[in-house]
Parts: sequence; C-alpha cells; structure tokens
Amino acid sequence: MLTVEGLNSHYGRAHILHGIGFTASAGSVLVLLGRNGAGKSTTLKSIIGLVRPSSGHIAFDGHEIARAEPHRIARLGLGYVPEERRIFTDLTVWENLEVGRQPPRPGLSPWTPERLYALFPNLGALRTRPGGRMSGGEQQMLTIARTLMGNPRMVLLDEPSEGLAPVIVEQIEAAILALKAEGVGIVLAEQNLHFARRVADTAVVIESGRAVWSGGMAKLQANPAVHARYLAV
Amino acid sequence: MGFLLSQALTALASASSLFLVAAGLTVIFGVTRVVNFAHGSLTMLGAYVAWTILRHLPRDPASFCLGVLATTLALAALGALLEMTLLRRIYRAPELFQLLATFGVVLMVQDATLHIWGPDDLSLPRPPWMRGFVTLLDQRFPQYDLYLIAAGPVVLALLWLVLNRTRWGRLVRAATQDREMVACLGVDQRVLFTTVFALGSALAGLAGALALPDGSANLGIDLSVVTEAFVVVVIGGLGSVPGAYLASLLIAGLQAVGIVVLPKITLVLVFLVMAAVLTVRPNGLLGRPVAAAAVLGAQPPVRPSSPALRWVGVVLLLLFVLAPLVAPSWILAIGTEAAVAVLFAASLHFMMGPGGMPSFGHAAWFGIGAYAAALSATVLAAPMPLALLLAPVAAGVIAGAFGAVVVRLSGIYLAMLTLAFAQIVWAIAFQSVGLTGGDNGILGVWPPGWVASPARFYWLTLALCAGGTLLLRRVLYAPLGYAIRATRDAPARADAIGLPSNAIRVVAVTVSGAAAGLAGAIFTFAHGSAFPTYVSIPRSVDALLMVLLGGVGTMTGPIIGALAYTGLSDLLLRATELWRFVLGAAIVALVLLFPAGLAGAFAGRHGDA
Repeated sequence: MLTVEGLNSHYGRAHILHGIGFTASAGSVLVLLGRNGAGKSTTLKSIIGLVRPSSGHIAFDGHEIARAEPHRIARLGLGYVPEERRIFTDLTVWENLEVGRQPPRPGLSPWTPERLYALFPNLGALRTRPGGRMSGGEQQMLTIARTLMGNPRMVLLDEPSEGLAPVIVEQIEAAILALKAEGVGIVLAEQNLHFARRVADTAVVIESGRAVWSGGMAKLQANPAVHARYLAV
Repeated sequence: MGFLLSQALTALASASSLFLVAAGLTVIFGVTRVVNFAHGSLTMLGAYVAWTILRHLPRDPASFCLGVLATTLALAALGALLEMTLLRRIYRAPELFQLLATFGVVLMVQDATLHIWGPDDLSLPRPPWMRGFVTLLDQRFPQYDLYLIAAGPVVLALLWLVLNRTRWGRLVRAATQDREMVACLGVDQRVLFTTVFALGSALAGLAGALALPDGSANLGIDLSVVTEAFVVVVIGGLGSVPGAYLASLLIAGLQAVGIVVLPKITLVLVFLVMAAVLTVRPNGLLGRPVAAAAVLGAQPPVRPSSPALRWVGVVLLLLFVLAPLVAPSWILAIGTEAAVAVLFAASLHFMMGPGGMPSFGHAAWFGIGAYAAALSATVLAAPMPLALLLAPVAAGVIAGAFGAVVVRLSGIYLAMLTLAFAQIVWAIAFQSVGLTGGDNGILGVWPPGWVASPARFYWLTLALCAGGTLLLRRVLYAPLGYAIRATRDAPARADAIGLPSNAIRVVAVTVSGAAAGLAGAIFTFAHGSAFPTYVSIPRSVDALLMVLLGGVGTMTGPIIGALAYTGLSDLLLRATELWRFVLGAAIVALVLLFPAGLAGAFAGRHGDA
C-alpha cells in the first residue's frame, strides 16, 4: 500500500535520509525504530510532503507522491499525526475534529466525532474545551482523532507514546489495534521498544538516516545484537 | 452633556470606519502572514468604484445599498485576482520582500487610478435621505453617521459568525495558527488563501464605499488609510478581529478627546498610546505571539572587504573627489544626491543588516535631520556647521527614544511601527504650519558663502557622507558592532554572556538614526529647503530598495545599491510620466524573480565582497 524506495532528504545542506526504503501494508502496523535523531520523523515528514525529498520514490495506493503537496497526499487517504501534536489551541475539541473532516472513503465506515468519542472517551467529556487547555495525553488523543476524521487508509504516527502516563499509553495502544482491525495501515515512529513490541507486526531499524535492519517484530526480539547496536541507550 | 454625546457618537462612527479597513487587513495577515501594504489601495479603489457605480444609480436608499454591495463584490474579485497573480508566489519570501512587493502594488494602483479617474477629488452630492439629522439632547447628529456606527458592530458580528459557525471559518482559524497542519489534514491552502484575501479585499472595498458619502474618492486615501489600519491592527494584535474593533474604539475615542483637549497632539497621542499598549502587551491587546519568521532570511556574517575591493573603493572615491575639476555642475548635483543616498542607505543597512531590525519608515530620521537643520538655520539662526551638528543629534536622540520603546518587538511589528512613526512625523511636518510651513516647507536654507559654489558644496557633501559611511563601517567592526550582531543572531546567548541586548539595540537604532539625520541635513542644504516629502513613505522605500538592491550581507551592498538606484530613478523620472507604475512593476518583478531576496540570489557569487 505504501512503498518507499531510495528516499533521500536534506535540511538545507545537511543530508538527513540516505536511501531509506520499506513497504507498509493495509491492516498491519510497521514500526520505524531508532534513537533520537536517527531520521524517523524526517522519514514521516518526507512521506506526507512536509519535507521535499531530494530523490527517491514514494508510492501510495498506486500514486507516486514523492513530490506532491501535503493536502493532495492527505486526500489520497494518508493521515499524519505529528510528534508535536499541533493541536489548534484556539479551537474546541469538536472544532479540531471538524477541521480534519474529509468525505467518506469507499469501503471504510466513516469516522464521526461520536465514533471517536467512543474510541477515546476522555475526548467525549471535553467537547467544548479549547485545545490549548488540555493535558498532553488528551492532546495526543485529539491529534490522532483529528487525523482519523479524514478517513485515512493509512496513518503515519510520530512517537504517540512520548511523555505520556501508562494509562494513556494503554488507550492509544488500544486505538492502534482497533484501527488495525478495521484494515487501516499504520506506520509508527518510535524509540519506545516496549510500546512498539505490543502493537507492531514488522519493524524497520533506522540509524543515521539509513534503514539498517528490517523484518518481523518477533525476529527483532530474538536478535539481541540489533538491540545492542542500534536501540540501546 | 449633549456635546459629550455627540462627540461620543462621532468617535463611534469613526471607529466603525477604522475597523472596516483594519478588519480586512488583520484577517488577511492572520492566515497568509502577509502584511498587505496595498490594503489602503484597495480601500481607495473601493471609493472610486463606488463613486462610478453610485453615479449611475437612482438616489434612493435601496440603490445605495445595492451599489455598496456591488463595490464590495468587485473588490472581492479584484482581491482574489491579486492573490492568485502575485501574493501566492511570495508567501515563502522574507517578510520585508512581501511588504515591498505589496508596496509595488500601491504604486501601480496609484498611477492606474490617476489614469482612469483623473487627479481631482470625486465626491457625490448626498441624496436627501442621507442629509437627515437626528436630534439627540439638543444636538443635531447626521443620520448617516448613525448607520456607520451600526456598520462596525454588524460587520464584527457577521465576521464572528462566519469564523465560528462555518467550516470555512474554522479552517481559517485553524490556518491562522498552523497552516502546515491544516494542509496535512487535506485542506488546499491555496483556495483558503484566495478566499481569505477576497474577504479582506471585500471589507476594504466596503470601507471605501461607506466612507464616500462623508468625504470623497481621492488619491491620498491609500497611504493615509493603510497607516491608520496598521496602527489599529498593531494595537489590537495582528490577526485578531475583536482586537481590531477594540483598538478602533480606543483610537477613535482618543482622537475625539484629543481634538477637544489638545487639537495639535492627536497624532502624537495615537503613537503614545500605541507605545504604551505595546510596552505592556508586546503582541497587542488580543494578539498572540507571532512566530518569529525570517524578516530577511538567514544572513551570512558580514566580512571586511577584500584588499582588491578596497582599492576599487579608494580609486572610486578619488574619482569622485576629482570630479569637480572636469564635470559640469549638473553632474555635481547628481553626485551630491548620490553621496547623500549612500549615507542614507548605509544608515538603514546598519539597522537592518547588522542590527537585524527592519525599518519601513527610515525617512523619519532623514526628515527629522532635515527639519532640525532647516529650523536651526532659520529659527535659531545657527551657522551651517552647528546646524549640521544639531541635525544628527536631534535625529539620534529621537531615534533612541523610539528605539527604547520598540526594540523588544519582533520584526513585523517593528516594520509596521517604524512606518507608522514616519507617517506621524510626516503629519506633524505637514500640519504644524506655524513652525514648518506645512506643505510649503521651509525655504531659503542655503549654505553660507564659503561653501556656496557647487564644487565646494559637493566636496563638503562628499567628505561628510564618505566620512559618515566609513564611520558606520568602523562601528560595525568594533566590539560594539560585534555585540550588535550577536544580539541579532542569538539574543538569548548574548544576554547569557552579559551583553545588555536591548540597550545595544537602542544604541544601534540611535547610531542609524543619527547617520540618516546627517544625510537629511545635507540634503536640506543642497536643496535650500525642507518639505514634508522628505519624510514620506516613498523616501523610506527608496532607502529600502537601495539596500535590498545592493544586498544586505555586505557593507558595499548599500553603497552600490544607492549609486545604482540614484542613477536609475533619475533616468526613469526623465523617461516616463508613468514612473510610479513602472517603478512599482519593477519592484514586483524583482520580488517575483528573487523571492529569497536579491542578496540571497547573488550570495553564492560575491562571497566575501
């Protein structure tokens, strides 16, 4: 469903991504693992079009999107949940969700605020609360819910567990598994291996902008050498 | 009591007019982050278009409303066109270039309007229904002003409804905060931006049309309106519509009180209020922090010129010094202009480049210097050397005081405030007829006998301007200059190593203002006069163009820019009557071709010039 090939990206003159490649499919969770600064976020930003790749191919649902604008990519059904959450702080919870609304997509049951309040009960209690007056965990749920309002076929999730209380992380984990069950594909950027282990099917390990290992999650767990070399702090 | 009421109603009416203009400006800024200098021009066009439409309609209230509506729609269409052809291409350009490009539009609209509607003020005789008066507590109050009073809150309420109760409005509010995220959610920003711009232009058109019955369509509307709107938007907070209404009420109220108490001081009062508000709330009454965007883009460090270039400079200077031996006096006159331009451009460069503080009203210091010199020579009967000394001191002191108020502000607020301040200086020069002679200026400020000959005055000018420019260069490479650049590039780190960054910025503004003041003083003696035009916006833009033409990254930039610009504008003035249009088009073209700035375009090539 999403194929990334030979992706190179730069920030100004700094060469960040060196030929990253992987394939993610519908109804499964792929995790990009790596330390801080390895290039996970840049990979996601390059896919959604916020960083323009200097070379390489990105195919989504049969469309080449490597040089497309973010709004076109999003309309193809690729959702992006940024690490910084980027909640519209002046808008209420409900308004934040409405900004994310896009037409229903054939084959997917469309998301509505009501369905999302059921998925994230915390949000249901805060419908009229301005986004700026929410806790970090509530904002994380809102940013995921807002992206889901676009009825994406695949979601790019950038470190959704970062800095959150375990109770909240559990809810987010449940949401990811629920999405997966609906057939939505998920690409997760994480450095939290414990979280990744509970949701991911396959993993790509990134180090200094290169994909250095890839395979099934179970295989990764059985490979202490990869842990020690690329993931241990 | 009745008098107070009528003053209050007048204030409310003018608050409405102010708000209609400012609302459009602030909505456009909120989403696109472009400070649209041409907003006043759209208001002006609104007045002219309304005049043309209303002239052909019957004179009943319904037709009037229809005409105003038609004007509003016409301006919306024009705004959309402007956005699609020009602004869309410059959203990524540094702020100063955006401001400059929209100023190019101002010039083009001016000449186009002059061409289409002619130079005369156009007014409509008021129809009978508009001439009515309402008697309130024994005071007669024009009925039309009551409608105006209502127009402000009505538009505010409508805008609130649209922004809060429609999907489009929610998208606009979301984009005001984070347009990139809005794009990631599948929203086409281009459509959003074009419609926002159309709405803002429609409001400008509405303001122009509704102001027509109380005044006239004239060529002065654009700059006067946009300056007022800048002040209102800055006080209210960039991007905040309710803030704009509050600020309109505040300004209009102050003007009403000011006119009764101290008629002469209203303009100064407005500026003082602006200063007070921004001191307490640097983002305006209801504004939020504007993300620090690149005013000029990233600048490489300024390096001293290479030895070869220095020799070129020495040879050039020598040629200038020897010129009077061969050149006729009209060439010397252009040479004098060019030398003054070099010092003026170098002073702006000092503040903008190394200082990192954009100034859109640098003519303020030039004009203060000019008037200080002229007044010392005429009123104080001071000899020329003393006048030439007093002028930069006066400009420097006022610039320092201004700097103390504004140095904490971010780039775009600073640019707008410098412009507003320059307009206020202009208005003072224009209105204080007793002291400055108003539009007639101060005449007869000629140099004394010992430098009266063209060659001698030219030499004096050359000595002062070259000396001033070299002095600026010296400061740039002195520890003070390093400190100035440090506070520009990393204010927090500069503070951390013990540099008083705000004080250093004030010093930079003072030095820059004093140098510009000297340029103004010499200019005054060269022309024997001082006029309000010395402080006008076009003069500020001249300086900006010189600096941007030559490049901000080097000290040679403003010098080359000033020489090139003086020569080119001289040619242009001789060549065509439509010089404003041509100049405006040239500015727009430059920004479109080099959206990263001219300096950026050539940065790779001239390295450490």
